[in-house]
Amino acid sequence: MNLKNITADKLVALYRNRDLSVTEVIQGVYEEIARVDGDIKAFLALCPDRALDDARRMDERIASGETLEPLAGVPVAIKDNMVVRDLPTTCASRILEGYIPPYTATAVERLRGAGAIVVGKVNCDEFGMGSTTENSGFQITRNPHNLDRVPGGSSGGSAASVASGTSLIALGSDTGGSVRTPAAFCGVVGVKPTYGRVSRYGLVAFGSSLDQIGPISKSVREAAQTMEIIAGFDHFDSTSADTAVDEYVRNLDQPINGTKIGIPKEYFLPGLNSEVRAKIEAGMRLYESLGCEMQEISLPHTEYAVATYYLIATAEASSNLARYDGVRYGPRGDANSLQEMYRHTRHNGFGKEVKRRILLGTYALSAGYYDAYYLKALKVRTLMLKDFQKAFEKVDIILTPTSPTVAFKIGEKTGDPLSMYLSDIFTITGSLGGIPVISVPCGKNSENMPVGMQLMGNHFQESLLLRVAHQFEKAGGFTV
Amino acid sequence: MKISEKDVEYVAKLAMLEVAEDEKKELAAQLSAIVEYVEKLNELDVSGIEPTPQVVTSIKHAVRDDRVAPRTGSAEAGRTVKLFKVPKVITER
Repeated sequence: MNLKNITADKLVALYRNRDLSVTEVIQGVYEEIARVDGDIKAFLALCPDRALDDARRMDERIASGETLEPLAGVPVAIKDNMVVRDLPTTCASRILEGYIPPYTATAVERLRGAGAIVVGKVNCDEFGMGSTTENSGFQITRNPHNLDRVPGGSSGGSAASVASGTSLIALGSDTGGSVRTPAAFCGVVGVKPTYGRVSRYGLVAFGSSLDQIGPISKSVREAAQTMEIIAGFDHFDSTSADTAVDEYVRNLDQPINGTKIGIPKEYFLPGLNSEVRAKIEAGMRLYESLGCEMQEISLPHTEYAVATYYLIATAEASSNLARYDGVRYGPRGDANSLQEMYRHTRHNGFGKEVKRRILLGTYALSAGYYDAYYLKALKVRTLMLKDFQKAFEKVDIILTPTSPTVAFKIGEKTGDPLSMYLSDIFTITGSLGGIPVISVPCGKNSENMPVGMQLMGNHFQESLLLRVAHQFEKAGGFTV
Repeated sequence: MKISEKDVEYVAKLAMLEVAEDEKKELAAQLSAIVEYVEKLNELDVSGIEPTPQVVTSIKHAVRDDRVAPRTGSAEAGRTVKLFKVPKVITER
């Protein structure tokens, strides 16, 4: 059973009317994975026994007339950098091969509590480090719209699974654009919540001041529903925010006329692909027809975002990844001494990009360079935050392209890390600001590849953000 | 600033990584390109600007009552991982 033409709310309604059983849907999902995932390669691990057990239990509850949770029987996929008890978690890294976590991430636990059924773990760039999912230690995931193209990254498996109809909702994580870029490249919806909005307990750390878990789905309604479930304080995560969670779903249809939308001029420079630009401009016109006011704004430090991000994120990563030393998890390198064991384990386990980022981050933090690189980047980040604060005094939402281009070809940028980093320019600013951001489909280019539009809101303004995105979808914006 | 092969060796040592002879040259070139790019930040005057190590939203000090609650214990952790046995730590200098 392919899930491309159904959404979670409709599926739950079918269960409720007894038109479909959860068991037949979950069985159908595994048949579909067997049929299409050999080409797409989104999944790293499947758990049919457990999922079918969950399905049978759910069917019994439906039969006995129990009230169903909002995601009852909805098949979901989890990025492989979130732990799910007794399922392998590798972060797509050889260094964690064979690791079976003894606990489950809070976000996944909450999804399961809302009735969702985990069908498997999906591929990503190793430890989330990449923009294409080509840096996985196990396999390259392909874009369902064109198998020669990348799905985006790092949550490429999550987006490719939803877009190819092998799950309805997937969890991804976003450090510098890792939910939004794959959502844009695969033509689906992706949310990076406000920093601290969703618990990170059980999310393997990459850049601790940036990482956030977020949903990927085909519709904004499903994203809003998922956000309502996974958002909120968790005492297992000391960085989770103790701020009330709004009723995102209920607010989706509130009017948006009069909403002020800012267009930052720094995002519309010559490096922006002309077809992407044309689609985003069509999106703006649609918003105008919905009664929103467009306003040119300036985020003057945008051009420094990539440099700032790649210093902060790699510095944090070099520290976070120090724990992979062969002592506690994963295969251990042969050695006569402890130091040699650390080195061999890390040499055999980490892929090229991860090593490159650990080296860069270690350099940025090393004696004599800390002030010039890392500390400087933290100060520039303050300037960027001020840019956003100033902008949100004038406008409610900021609208930009998600990526300067559509999905590029597999192998096109792997030899040139700097050019790969520069492709993240539009998603990185929102990460550094810790603000909530959503990427939604905004038509396709002449090669039939999806274009993504990014909407940014002020801290904890998820409700407005989701509403503005939902009404764009309702007005036909996804195929503009 | 250019990153030399010697710099790569030094940083690799700090990070407990091994870098093969033939990788050093490529890494030095790639890291040089990246470091030269990030030096773009020197165009900005940041004197008097406070650093932002973390965007603090509404995060409070996470102080909670000292109560026993069910958590994953060491027995469960040990079920799936080899317990923490390592090669000899103390070596002669």
